[in-house]
Amino acid sequence: MNRLRRFLTASIAMAAMSVFNPAYADGSKGKIFYMVPTLLDEFQTESVSALTKFMGDVGYEVVALNADNKTDVQQSQMDDTILQKPKAIILAAVDFNALAPYIDKARAAGIPVMIFDRQITSTPSDLTSVAGTVEIGHVAGDQIEGLLKAKNGSVKGKVLQVLGDPSDPYTLDIQKGFEEKMAAFPDVKIISLPAMQWEASNAGTIVSDQLVANPDIDLIFVHAAHLAVAAVASLEAKGKKPGDVMLVSSNGAPVGLDLIRKGWENVEVEQPLYAQAAALAMFADKVVNKEEIKPGNYSVLGLDSVMTNEKWGPNIKIPGAAITKENVDEPRFWGNLKAPADKITPVQ
Amino acid sequence: MTSPRQRATVEFILDHLVWFMLAVVLIAFSIFVPNFFQIGIFANIIEASTFVGVMAIGLAIVIIAGHMDLSVESVAALSAMITGILFCSHGIGIGLTLTPEWLVVPVSLLISLAVGAVIGWLNGFFVIKLKMNAFIVTLASYIWVRGLVVAISGGRSAQDLDPDLRFIGIQQVLYIPLMAWIAILCFVVFSFIMSRTPFGRHITLIGGNAVAAFRAGIKVDRLMFISFILAGAIAGLAGWLLAIRTSGATANLGTGMLFNAFAAVVIGGVSLKGGVGKLPGVYAGVLLLSSIHTAINLMGLPAHYTQVILGLLVLAAVLLDTLKLQIRQRFA
Repeated sequence: MNRLRRFLTASIAMAAMSVFNPAYADGSKGKIFYMVPTLLDEFQTESVSALTKFMGDVGYEVVALNADNKTDVQQSQMDDTILQKPKAIILAAVDFNALAPYIDKARAAGIPVMIFDRQITSTPSDLTSVAGTVEIGHVAGDQIEGLLKAKNGSVKGKVLQVLGDPSDPYTLDIQKGFEEKMAAFPDVKIISLPAMQWEASNAGTIVSDQLVANPDIDLIFVHAAHLAVAAVASLEAKGKKPGDVMLVSSNGAPVGLDLIRKGWENVEVEQPLYAQAAALAMFADKVVNKEEIKPGNYSVLGLDSVMTNEKWGPNIKIPGAAITKENVDEPRFWGNLKAPADKITPVQ
Repeated sequence: MTSPRQRATVEFILDHLVWFMLAVVLIAFSIFVPNFFQIGIFANIIEASTFVGVMAIGLAIVIIAGHMDLSVESVAALSAMITGILFCSHGIGIGLTLTPEWLVVPVSLLISLAVGAVIGWLNGFFVIKLKMNAFIVTLASYIWVRGLVVAISGGRSAQDLDPDLRFIGIQQVLYIPLMAWIAILCFVVFSFIMSRTPFGRHITLIGGNAVAAFRAGIKVDRLMFISFILAGAIAGLAGWLLAIRTSGATANLGTGMLFNAFAAVVIGGVSLKGGVGKLPGVYAGVLLLSSIHTAINLMGLPAHYTQVILGLLVLAAVLLDTLKLQIRQRFA
């Protein structure tokens, strides 16, 4: 009987807290569904936490649906979500083109769609927040240009580029951006090979094979930090020491930052995950209420970002950063897993 | 009319067809693929065969026993992730240290084997005791075990494996990585078990005709149960090796290896109907696949070709299997 009384008291206390405690007020404006492409990489996992936190700051509850990198699964999830009539949908598409009709479908049903991280330009959406995958390739290209010049006296040498899964447009865009930059340097030979399914040991095998076939490789550029770990394991197995072969990676995951601290990796090109997520939260009210989003410069978590009106809708671009030994410990990098504690303020 | 000598020659060729295929492929690649013909590349092929090879041993045993185990890839991933979480010092690793330090090798190995054996036991329980379909049971395990990997890791990775474990991934003996020697040892031991012990012979008999084996007094259920546990434990070993190779674990580690293992088993001459197959052939199948992967890496061909070639190779293996049967009947 006492146990029952204690249970009832606790239940009433919990109910009272849910009414009066402001922390429980998060989500009062309704639900926003986040279509996360996969939970098998750290960027995506952290994006769920970041969006949940930032959207909570501005009054929305985030429900995340994982598509396991399957386009058809994400399409079904979009269909199901549209029927639930959420306040908005945040989409990080598995396949940029295949999801376009579903964006149209959601918007036709009156549900605004925000695009996170993976830009879709083939159809209008309500807000896009990206670092730009092609631009990540550009930043990597600039960094690699500098590294090769420092090592060889001019921009020349051999670069092994390890892509992710060749069916993923994300990695193909980075490749495109990187190769656009390197096109100006004919003395740089690029060997490009994909690590099927973004699987680390596949990347390790590629590095092992290429170190034997091309022992004069100056630099390895991998398209995700978790692939860099396997690349380093292969370098180590071949008797290499930190710095013997330069290493550049992208996405800014914690593993990449650790490799920089240990001296194995030279540069990690960061996707500004926290700022990308915060930007969506800052404009969430405007998107949900279908208010105009004005173009211009905005400060997102201290990063100077540019909002433009593109043919696919408002587009905020947040610059990706190059992380090196000098700045690796700065908390603004999501790889340090220190999400900003300050509350996000909606743009008026 | 064929002489016994001719017949023996044909039988020998048919029994070792996959090895001949491997030899032809290696010679062709050595001639036509730049930079292929060197010790380092052959060592890489053997090293890259380690994980799929070890995984394929357990898979082959279950298939020879007349069943199916689709869970081996996820079991390897789980074992790799648990090894990573316990013995990595960065990421989600808790950096467990043992005294004396060398204890990390047997302890982590035992944990990996135990993790695999538990999943194998569960598979065996549902298939043998509850008489559920092995395909469905192990498919379910394939899904839930991978889910467990994501759940316990939270999608994050563990890195910086204990140096005493990493030693196994770095050390070489006669140009071949120590890990690859472990895989070779596994093939030698399990080939012996399958061909020279009552356990192996009974498993093959069960796969050929379970009812006849039962009537002959063989403990069919018990041996099948053991084969599932073995497959799980061996997959656990593959995961342990995988964690050592990549110095940690990511949530998607090992993705796609199941199909390579299956391809190797089929190319290696194991019949999916059960009762037929030898583990040395499976190893040749793994080496063949690994050679093709390496050649494609060196040629810089788009990786999609690997899958096309893999698929065609499996088809060719099944066709050859049918052809072998017809040739045998002609010479019988």
